[in-house]
Amino acid sequence: MKTMLGKRAVSSLISLFVLIVMVFFLSRLTGDPAALYLPVDASEEMRQNFREIHGLNDPVIVQFGRYIGDLVQLDFGESLRKARPAIDVVLEAFVWTLWLALITMALVSVAAIVVGSIAAFNVGRPFDRVASVLSLIGASAPDFWIAIVGIVVFSVSYGLLPTSGTGTVWHWILPIAVLFIRPFGLILQIVRGSMINALGSPYVKTARAKGVKNRPVIFVHTLRNAMLPVITVIGDQAAALLNGAVVVETIFGFPGVGKLMIDSILQRDFNVILAAIMVTAIAIFLMNILIDIAYALLDPRIRT
Amino acid sequence: MTMTDTSDTVRAEEDPAKPVSGLRRVIAMLWADKLAFVAALFLLVIVLCAVFGPMFLQDMAAKTNLRARNAPPFELERGFFFILGGDALGRPLLARIIVAAQNTMMVAAGAVVASMIIGSALGLIAGYTGRWVGEAIMRLADVIMSFPSLLLAVIVLYMLSPSIANLVLVLAITRIPIYLRTTRAEVLEVRQRMFVQAAIVMGASNFRIVFKHILPVILPTLLTIATLDFAFVMLAESSLSFLGIGIQPPEITWGLMVSQGRQYLTSAWWLAFWPGLAIILTTMSLNLLSSWMRIALNPTQRWRLEIGAKKNG
Amino acid sequence: MKHSMLWAGALLATTALSPAYAQDSAVTIVLGEEPDLVEPCMATRSNIGRIVLGNISETLTELDVRGDEGLKPRLAESWELVNDNTWRFKLREGVTFSDGSTFDAADVKHSFDRAKSDQITCEISRYYEGIEITPSVVDEHTIDFTTEPAQPILPLLLSLLTIVPSETAIEFTREPVGTGPYVMSNWAPGQSITLERRDDYWGEAPAVSTANYVFRADPSVRAAMVQAGEADIAPSISAIDATTDMDASYPNSETTYLRIDHSVAPLDDKRVREALNIGIDREAFVGTILADGTQVATALNVPTTLGWNADTEARPYDPERAKALLEEAKADGVPVDTEILLVGRTGNFPGATETYEAIQSMLSEVGFNIRLQMVEVAEHEQYYSKPYVQDQPVLVGAQHDNSRGDPVFSMYFKYHSEGRQSGIADVKADDLITRATAATGDERVALWSELFGYLHDEVIADALLFHMVGHARVGNDVEFTPTIATNSQLQLSEIGLK
Repeated sequence: MKTMLGKRAVSSLISLFVLIVMVFFLSRLTGDPAALYLPVDASEEMRQNFREIHGLNDPVIVQFGRYIGDLVQLDFGESLRKARPAIDVVLEAFVWTLWLALITMALVSVAAIVVGSIAAFNVGRPFDRVASVLSLIGASAPDFWIAIVGIVVFSVSYGLLPTSGTGTVWHWILPIAVLFIRPFGLILQIVRGSMINALGSPYVKTARAKGVKNRPVIFVHTLRNAMLPVITVIGDQAAALLNGAVVVETIFGFPGVGKLMIDSILQRDFNVILAAIMVTAIAIFLMNILIDIAYALLDPRIRT
Repeated sequence: MTMTDTSDTVRAEEDPAKPVSGLRRVIAMLWADKLAFVAALFLLVIVLCAVFGPMFLQDMAAKTNLRARNAPPFELERGFFFILGGDALGRPLLARIIVAAQNTMMVAAGAVVASMIIGSALGLIAGYTGRWVGEAIMRLADVIMSFPSLLLAVIVLYMLSPSIANLVLVLAITRIPIYLRTTRAEVLEVRQRMFVQAAIVMGASNFRIVFKHILPVILPTLLTIATLDFAFVMLAESSLSFLGIGIQPPEITWGLMVSQGRQYLTSAWWLAFWPGLAIILTTMSLNLLSSWMRIALNPTQRWRLEIGAKKNG
Repeated sequence: MKHSMLWAGALLATTALSPAYAQDSAVTIVLGEEPDLVEPCMATRSNIGRIVLGNISETLTELDVRGDEGLKPRLAESWELVNDNTWRFKLREGVTFSDGSTFDAADVKHSFDRAKSDQITCEISRYYEGIEITPSVVDEHTIDFTTEPAQPILPLLLSLLTIVPSETAIEFTREPVGTGPYVMSNWAPGQSITLERRDDYWGEAPAVSTANYVFRADPSVRAAMVQAGEADIAPSISAIDATTDMDASYPNSETTYLRIDHSVAPLDDKRVREALNIGIDREAFVGTILADGTQVATALNVPTTLGWNADTEARPYDPERAKALLEEAKADGVPVDTEILLVGRTGNFPGATETYEAIQSMLSEVGFNIRLQMVEVAEHEQYYSKPYVQDQPVLVGAQHDNSRGDPVFSMYFKYHSEGRQSGIADVKADDLITRATAATGDERVALWSELFGYLHDEVIADALLFHMVGHARVGNDVEFTPTIATNSQLQLSEIGLK
């Protein structure tokens, strides 16, 4: 187990480096930051000056070398737009997104496993059908659409919840609800499918054949065997939440990292983009390692 | 989704020796599951719209008429194609939905099929072959996974123009890991099962083991994911439109129509509603069909029907 | 350490109660875009100016946008022309900055030098390009600005120069110090910016004691916030949402137009450009895609601008004549069938996409071969500014804002052959622009007026579209009337409480 995690950490670092290289060169290809950062009618002189100050005149490879050098010292540089260290800007935003994602995923996992299992035990019965159809409809509607309808209904018409922003617990309800819907539908389907599969697997069949009538016992057996694909999907969905909260954060004015990234891309604020990607990537790598551990714990055969 | 009306399906499948022509057998199996039958019909209509719609309705869908701006639905005085109302430029919504089906299907189907084929192929290799290859492939998946998908989309769509081909490319790349990892996880589990071990002992070729024994078992899961992914891709495309970086007008997709109609939500709901309904219905049809396919394709699922038969009668 | 503090902060934020709107005289203003800086020398950028201008930082002079008093004194009490090239400003006494220091002529000089400094890229300095301006301190409360060449509208140009204390470092600040009635008391990035009223402001104390700025990208959310009582003013909402009696429309000084690059055929042919102009049914947009109150434009500047030419008339929609013109041009060998690329910017103004789609449809109707491409801001910039894309004829749909009363802020960039966004290279236009820039009084008015007429009637420089209107939603507890300048500044002192 220890060696596995060690290897995993090493290979993660390699992946991380590949990512840094890719992102750095890709983002430098998307446009001249001087052109975007300065006013449209800025003179060539101003542009030159700007490039000079921020080292944008050097060959890309030199810029990259300098960037890696700084990175090793955990210095992501200044945000071009905000006159603050990029890493501060990103960490501030990241904490918000992390909480948003953690709370949402906890709720989603519990709800999806419970509802999905019940559906699997009641295949074809009304509960199964209603749960499937409702979750599917929810997961099929565009999130920005749900968000705006949610604001119109809950905030404007009934005045139950704040429209947007942060500050109180109430402010979190609509964003979490909107983020909840899609992964819930997807994970529910996977849980249900996987449980049905597991119910048909040799172990459970054996248990049934042996005459185990006790539903909880069957449930635990089945769930354990059904969890592998479910965990994969939960992990993927959590990652999708981390980087896909862009829309929700944009609409609700939530100061998270998704919104920060889109803003930074539009403003070509390289250092913030890179820092945000690094932080997000590290978080996702950590989560993947957790998933691997969960795998190993659930299925001893994979433990290498 | 529906497990009760499928006894015919199973019988047809239980007796593969019986010579029935392929298409008729499929139709018969579909007919056994009425919901799946309706879903298949609906998808057939959508596909026909996608193939032929732009040919016949392109001009009508592009013709602006500010007098018919936001024309309410269920009125026939402007002609049949205004039955669902008119959009913000007075273009008939029904015609636009039909024409938009082509781009929507191309983007969604293109991205889903590409990512499923590439992802599951890589997943099979990762799960079945040696450690090193497997590890390398998994790291590749990690890199893609840790690269925020919307960010990838934004960067690529900035460098290249936001054309349909590029959109398919971006969406496909971001969806590969999910197939890859699911496939690998399932392969790791399935290859330990008795029948696979038996095949290995009996000296079956790797090719045969993968395609005869492993793939059939994991296909249902992959199809379930693909079905839901279809919806995801349509919605991702719509989110990109919302952020202003997806497919750009005058091209149309359902996602773009929802995104454009969103601002009229309180004054002219039909602008966003109908294309949204098209997305939801397509997704649901695919899901119903995939439930049906799960039974029609997978011999290991049979026990359910046995139980179902006992329970139901 | 930093980590754990951030975590704790987020935890607190989830559990703490909302910051209660303690005093009655607090207002919340919801804007579309959070500024990345609150830097006085960047105040000409609208997202920064709306917070800084007239609130935190003040200027020597100020353009009256509510009445018709023209240029009014603010930190300067008076100004006069000493000789052709020198303006002398008499400064207000007894003014202090929010850091306690006293305002004097050295601060003005430093502010100007800082804005012009090549160590930081201040946006307001772009308005001083091409003119040699030298400030020199005469005494503590008098300062001279010497210009080369003569600059008749220097006092107007100085209405953009935000004054900072002479101690301000020449780098972007995040804690702006100014002489204005407010001081920035809190900035929670991504969430809000708070301004508090100063007790030691030199002028009349405004009614609003605390202003809280929040930022929401979606216009319907901004509108909903005012309706739900979470915000008091949303200066910019979508016309579609502007249906309640809380909403007011105002001309926002933006003008939309299709910029034509005259150097590429077939757009080098005047008949083709005329056909473009009369092939668009502008009236049909007003009250449909665009808000009621939108005006058909005959000039790039709004009618309240100096020298705006009342004699130029919009060309009426005439599809038949447009077709005929195209036929005529075709007969003369002009390649009118060439595909013309119409570039629009997504989200440039409410209804932008629909507007360009409709224009494409109308122009196709009269026989143009138009392809529409909607792009985002950076790509739009590549088409909008020189060097231009030359491999095919391009129309760039764009929007220009000049609420400052004088065409000088527009004309060089947009129409001089050297201008970075000019589609024309016309000797007469160049000459008129040069002369008008240096002229004063009636002569200036006449020259600008001649230029406007010449560009529209003779050159057919571009396809001018509309003078736009904006919509603001104002809650029931406050009184605020938006003006032509509301896009770029929002003085809290102009907000009344009920």
